[in-house]
Amino acid sequence: MDIIESKTWIEWLITIAKFAFCFVPVLYILLLIPMERRGAGFMQDRQGPNRSYIKIPYFGKIRLLGYVQNMCDGTKLFFKEMFAPAGVNKVLYYVAPAIPFAIVFLSPCVIPWFGPMVFEWGGQMVRIPGSIIDSDVGVLLLFGFSSLSAFGAVLAGWASKSKYSFLGALRTSSMTISYEVCLGLSMMGILLLAGSFNLTDIVSWQEHHVWGIVAQPVAFFCFLIASIAETGRAPFDVAEGEPELVAGYHTEYGAMQFGLFYMGEYSHICINSFLIATLFLGGYAVPFVTTETMQAHMGGSLAILCGVLAFLALAFLHMIHRYSKKLAATNLTNRFEILREYKLYNIVAWTAVVVLVILAFFAWFFYNPQSMVIGGVAVGSLSTALGTALIHLLVLVVKSVIFCWVWIWVRWTLPRFRYDHVMSLGWKIILNIALINLVVTAVIAKLVGGN
Amino acid sequence: MRVIKQKPMTLGERLYIFEALRGLFTTLKHAARGLFRYEELPTISYPEGQPEVRNTYRAKHRLMLRPDGTPRCVACGMCAAACPAHCIFIEATASDDPRIEKKVKRFDIDHLTCVFCGLCAEACPVDALRMDTKKISFEHRSREEFVAHLEDLTNWDPKDYPDDEQSQVAPGGTKNAEALKVWGMEVK
Amino acid sequence: MSNYYNMPKLPTENSPKVEIFVDDKPVMVPGDTNLLEALKAVGIETPHVCYHPYLPVSGNCRQCLVEQEGPRGRMLVIACYTPVSPGMKIYTPASSARVKNARKATQEFMLVNHPLDCPICDKAGECTLQENYMEADQNESRMRPEYGKNYHGNPAHQFIDAKGQLRGGKHVDLGPRVLLDEERCVQCDRCVRFMRSIAGSEQLQLAGRADHTYITTFPGEKLDHEYDLCVTDVCPVGAMTAKYFRFQKRVWLLSHTPTVSMDDSLGANIWLDYADGHIYRVMPRCNPVVNRSWLSNTSRLAFQEFDKNRLPSMEVHTPAFGNGKIAIVAGGTCTLEDLAAIRMLKEKLGDRAEIFGGSLLKVGEPDGIAKSGDPVANRAGMKLLGFADVADFMKRASEFETLVTVNADLFGEDPAAAGVLEKINCRVAITPFDDATAKKATIAMGVRHWSEVQGTMVNSLNMLQKLNACPVCPDENLWAAYQVVSYMAGSKFEAAADAFKKAGEYAPVLAGLTYDAIKSTGKLLEGGEA
Repeated sequence: MDIIESKTWIEWLITIAKFAFCFVPVLYILLLIPMERRGAGFMQDRQGPNRSYIKIPYFGKIRLLGYVQNMCDGTKLFFKEMFAPAGVNKVLYYVAPAIPFAIVFLSPCVIPWFGPMVFEWGGQMVRIPGSIIDSDVGVLLLFGFSSLSAFGAVLAGWASKSKYSFLGALRTSSMTISYEVCLGLSMMGILLLAGSFNLTDIVSWQEHHVWGIVAQPVAFFCFLIASIAETGRAPFDVAEGEPELVAGYHTEYGAMQFGLFYMGEYSHICINSFLIATLFLGGYAVPFVTTETMQAHMGGSLAILCGVLAFLALAFLHMIHRYSKKLAATNLTNRFEILREYKLYNIVAWTAVVVLVILAFFAWFFYNPQSMVIGGVAVGSLSTALGTALIHLLVLVVKSVIFCWVWIWVRWTLPRFRYDHVMSLGWKIILNIALINLVVTAVIAKLVGGN
Repeated sequence: MRVIKQKPMTLGERLYIFEALRGLFTTLKHAARGLFRYEELPTISYPEGQPEVRNTYRAKHRLMLRPDGTPRCVACGMCAAACPAHCIFIEATASDDPRIEKKVKRFDIDHLTCVFCGLCAEACPVDALRMDTKKISFEHRSREEFVAHLEDLTNWDPKDYPDDEQSQVAPGGTKNAEALKVWGMEVK
Repeated sequence: MSNYYNMPKLPTENSPKVEIFVDDKPVMVPGDTNLLEALKAVGIETPHVCYHPYLPVSGNCRQCLVEQEGPRGRMLVIACYTPVSPGMKIYTPASSARVKNARKATQEFMLVNHPLDCPICDKAGECTLQENYMEADQNESRMRPEYGKNYHGNPAHQFIDAKGQLRGGKHVDLGPRVLLDEERCVQCDRCVRFMRSIAGSEQLQLAGRADHTYITTFPGEKLDHEYDLCVTDVCPVGAMTAKYFRFQKRVWLLSHTPTVSMDDSLGANIWLDYADGHIYRVMPRCNPVVNRSWLSNTSRLAFQEFDKNRLPSMEVHTPAFGNGKIAIVAGGTCTLEDLAAIRMLKEKLGDRAEIFGGSLLKVGEPDGIAKSGDPVANRAGMKLLGFADVADFMKRASEFETLVTVNADLFGEDPAAAGVLEKINCRVAITPFDDATAKKATIAMGVRHWSEVQGTMVNSLNMLQKLNACPVCPDENLWAAYQVVSYMAGSKFEAAADAFKKAGEYAPVLAGLTYDAIKSTGKLLEGGEA
């Protein structure tokens, strides 16, 4: 009971509210699928899926730039018949897809979504960490969770009673294990520098010193390759290489069972991007600005944020305008339909621009919160803390989306490796580079920084 | 036989990483074009936008018409004989016009079986069968509707073929009146 | 005016062999025939248009030129009218450029005025001119199509076509069954010779002279004869066309079944030309001793009724034959297999059953061409298998209580017989057609028509001839008559060969024969005269 009474109700409220972050990877799936499908289209000079629509009054068919396709796919997978091939191990067969999907909800617990919220509440200083579980072994916990997803693949391959699935599962498990080693070793350098396994500490070290990508470029490179390989995506998707294994360990799965594997894969990408952003790109830290500076100029910071968003909205409006002009000149039979749809986007974007500009204006001139000193430390109000958390979260999201794009980008560029090449790359190259990097880092750290 | 000797890979190529980065740059260029210059993508949104069809494209068939509107086909069966898919079915009958012996009673082309090779149009001795309608899509609700009958094949508009002299001779064409004068010559 | 004196002598198996030199190589050829047939016998085809093996030689087309070594050097002679003599030296296009050139020139000359009607010509595909042209290197025409053709036939039928050119008569009505295209005619006069020498009724004539010659009938007369459709067969081009087959089907789409016409006891050999489940025409099949290459209109046009008014298939069952006497009457179109099955049924039923064969129709006189006049096709076969004549049955009709007719339309053939026949209580009709007998029968069972079954028949010359099944049966479930009858007898014949074997048990002359032993032109049975 002590632990409960030691916290005020506001602390409890925010701590519980933080569990909402468990759903961030699931939301990312909704972002990643259209990003992958249309991104792949663009890379191949196609348009990508853009024809599903929702019909609404006046504006007609709303395609949301192809986003509606997502819902159609999901709905289709959800309502498909779930079936099991004859002779499978029924229990394992049905449990297997749930494992990678369950990990999706566990992994985000140790990621610091924002800096520790420190604010004054009722004359007391309240400190709330940015991760759901602010553990000193955060990184290890995360690795533990993500290793579990190999079980899903192994069980699926075993239970399917298919040679393709079985071989796919073997390949997946061996590859996951190999690259977990590389992943761990290449990360050790930055842990050494930060001197902590706590992700929040690593981020704050980067914030106050230098980003991991600058301090440990080789480690970053190794980590990136290893994490792509660990997710089992192209060019490392030997586990589901179509010409050899049909679809690997999920050959025998259909409907939402396949959907769970699919979503598990995407959320794995999401988690790994967050990890890379946190370890090597300063996590939630705003580039070139420390949290303290930002909090001191809270109004200005929010105003700049609003300004950036307003600029993006204007850029979007420009693209819409340019495309509409071109479209109106063609003889497509559905051009007026599309132009009418764009009218909605115009309205929404213009509204957003106006609102954001007004917000920026007010934030710049009228929002200037004062901080008070409690126990020798300057502590801001709750609103300052919330604002900081918001900016931190957005920065982290932007960084991780960039890495998600890298995953997609690499997948649609590079051809698949041969299985033995994948293994030799992992064990003979990446692992050795990571080891040498660790030794060199340790020696330099000892020479330069003493302890 | 031609022996193609492959250039040995340089060190940079064997390292893979630089070539991979080059490839990544290429795809990034294309992705950026798609994102920022969406309207320049070469795709045609098919049902709404129609591709340009050349005159020489072997599309749906049509039967040419005489000035009086009867099909030019003399039901000789050369097209059916030339057809590698056996999709043309012809029945002949004697013509009412004393100057013409044989006329076509039934002319069916099964477009589900047709391979659009154009041999039938090549084989036609009287230039009656052509494949220049530029109709490239066939959508029907039943298999039977895919069989084009005599009425479908002769149901075309000379205005769609402004440059073709032979089409203008048909009823409704610009040269029909002129041709009809010659055609309608007194039968001795 | 018949000119049988220059009828070609055809080689037979008994022809004496003489040695002649063809292209300087010695070959043995039949010695009592003309050069064209002799060369054909050793595998050298000579193109010809006017020559026909069963018509008097007229030698007017000059297409069959060969070179012969003579006292005045090598000269061009027509192969069709040159008799073979021992030791003669012959040069064909294989060695002589002169012959090749001469044939090419003859052909070009013949094609000068022949219209390019091939796409709409019914003869296309089996046209002699086309065949010769394809064999003779397919030379290109040197004529200018824009000037049109010079030959226009009968001035009375000329007209101006849609292109403004003068044309000859394209569909001149020669008679009730034949149309003439004057433009296509090459004046080979085969039709004239056929009507004069074979049909014996000179109804066609060549009128006019030189390039104004045309085929015509006598003024006010029409071509109308029992054999007039044969002129469309002998016509080497598409000038004479049969009205019944005009524009019905392109000939290359037809498949052919060799069989025997079962409406006459001569058993004229025919081809059944069919496509997509229908017979389109009947053509004579050359058989030197039976019908040569002629066929009467009756036999030729009979096919139009084959698929009409047919009985449907139904479950075959054995009728209750009762205790009285049973008469089984086989009709004229019964094959030997049907007769064997009837005999088997009779033996099963025992002494109370009697078998009769024949028809109530009048027996005519042979016309010497392709008909014997006897409507009972298999009368000789009935004799072989011990069938009594149907006239015998008609005399004693009142004795019988059951009448089984197989392919025999007794009611239809003689309506006067109905009174006698109707007194028989149980009348079973096994017949392909829903005819008068089937309508009057107490039980009627549909079977296959003779054009749809395999079988054999013995014709009036005592020749065993083979029928083949044409795949045009309107109902696949129909049984053949021998199957139905043998089913009643207790052991159904699955194949015609089984029934034929059974026939061999009843008639010793057929014993040991198989279908393969019967040639396409038939097999002369012992005791018959050719």
